[in-house]
Amino acid sequence: MAMLKTILGNLLRPPRTRGPADMPDVPPVYRGALAHDAARCTACGTCAFVCAPKAITFTQDPGVSVSWHFFIGQCSFCGLCAQNCPTQAIGLQADAPGATNSAAGDGLRLESVVRLQPCTRCGAAHVPLPDAVMEALWGVGEAERGYCPECRRRAASEKLRAAFVPVQEAHHDR
Amino acid sequence: MPYSFPLGPYHPALEEPFKVKVQCRGEVIDSATVEVGFSFRGIELLAQKRNWVEVITLIERVCGICSNTHAMTFCMAAETIAGIEIPKRATHIRTIIAELERLHSHLLWAGVGAEDIGFHSLFMEVFTLRELVMDTLEAISGNRVNYGMNCIGGVLRDIPDPKRYLPALDTLSKGLAEIVIPTFTENPTALARTRGVGQLTQQQAVEWAVVGPVARASGLDIDVRKDQPYLSYADLGFESVVRPEGDVLARVVVRALEMVESIRLIREALLSLPVGPLRATEGLPEIPIGEATIRTEAPRGEAFYYVASEGGATPARVKIRTPSFVNIPAIEAMVVGQPLADLSIIQASVDPCISCTDR
Repeated sequence: MAMLKTILGNLLRPPRTRGPADMPDVPPVYRGALAHDAARCTACGTCAFVCAPKAITFTQDPGVSVSWHFFIGQCSFCGLCAQNCPTQAIGLQADAPGATNSAAGDGLRLESVVRLQPCTRCGAAHVPLPDAVMEALWGVGEAERGYCPECRRRAASEKLRAAFVPVQEAHHDR
Repeated sequence: MPYSFPLGPYHPALEEPFKVKVQCRGEVIDSATVEVGFSFRGIELLAQKRNWVEVITLIERVCGICSNTHAMTFCMAAETIAGIEIPKRATHIRTIIAELERLHSHLLWAGVGAEDIGFHSLFMEVFTLRELVMDTLEAISGNRVNYGMNCIGGVLRDIPDPKRYLPALDTLSKGLAEIVIPTFTENPTALARTRGVGQLTQQQAVEWAVVGPVARASGLDIDVRKDQPYLSYADLGFESVVRPEGDVLARVVVRALEMVESIRLIREALLSLPVGPLRATEGLPEIPIGEATIRTEAPRGEAFYYVASEGGATPARVKIRTPSFVNIPAIEAMVVGQPLADLSIIQASVDPCISCTDR
């Protein structure tokens, strides 16, 4: 009987099938197309580490660049790469992700090249830190901004040492 | 003249491969043999080759319906090994997602069950209601399946505005109370196909070691949420639904009343969502040497996880025993003496999840 009432009620109502104009809003947490910002990437490899299907990989051109690669056919859109990226270089956008053509591996591949820079002190090629990180660590306009990690470490320990030991004595030790 | 009849491996009840080979005498089934293993993926072995973060993504793919339960249970096991206590807000969010998942799993089952007895209009009604749950899950997690909510130490996503989801719950409980439950329990067509069909007595339920709604429909009052409360179930209060009849109708009624209880739990959890952090830990997890066993109540019954760690980057062993793994063989006991035409609804009534069983 209940079903009969429902059917009669449905006769008077418009169809319940949703049209494109009536789709629910895309939630802000939707995990869609992957985007990578090379300017923020430090090539730390966390995204590749947490990627279960190994959709993200890194390749190196020694001394020139580090490349971030993404293949959509392997991506499961779990969003862990974006969650774990320490510099927010990866984001999953609200756009629909690209398609994969076949299981054979055609389909959307992304590549993002992070150029290495020579250290302004020793000349060693390194991945520059993103500006925001640099500012938080070293402030604006410091000489250390162009240093490689090794020189930054040395500069940091020199600063620390200078804070404890008078400058002349520090030179003596060398 | 007895004959044997193979049903499956394709589309016996749900669109998943498992095979029921029945011996018939005329219309009546004499005996049945169940075969599974057509979609084995070796997830337990793969889990030993993935690090602690990747394993969660992998384990979530054990099942397409109860994906959250598996990821959650695994995270609970890892947290037990590492001695992490997750924040109150995280336990509430996990409870909400687990109960929403139970709702959409039971609604999916009710729809498939209705279709199996040829009741298409009821199938449509049920799936309209299910869409509300799916929209709620998508709004919270960003995905309709594989929500990716869990991480070791808490949850990854917040529910910023819990009151937003209350109207959907009201519509849902109205739809359940006015259409789904009365149709399944009062409509003569539905009753004729379910009452007294596929009996599993309490004695048989113990012998076949069934769990979840199938056990509760045979008069066994077992539910991990009540027997060994985890997450927020102790705070929210929980009442299990038990029916003594043991037929398909009892399994329908148990699931339907469980949905009503789930809606109550979700509403209370949303209204009493405590403030606080989402995670107890920062960064990538480090799990010390140890082992843990965890039981949770998945939509289909008790899910059992054994996780061992040797302190390395990957788990040393992840043993998964899913509820369908013990429920599916009980079909052999249910179909004896039943007409062949009822085989499809009987096997659908245990809500077989082949993806879980084969994992």
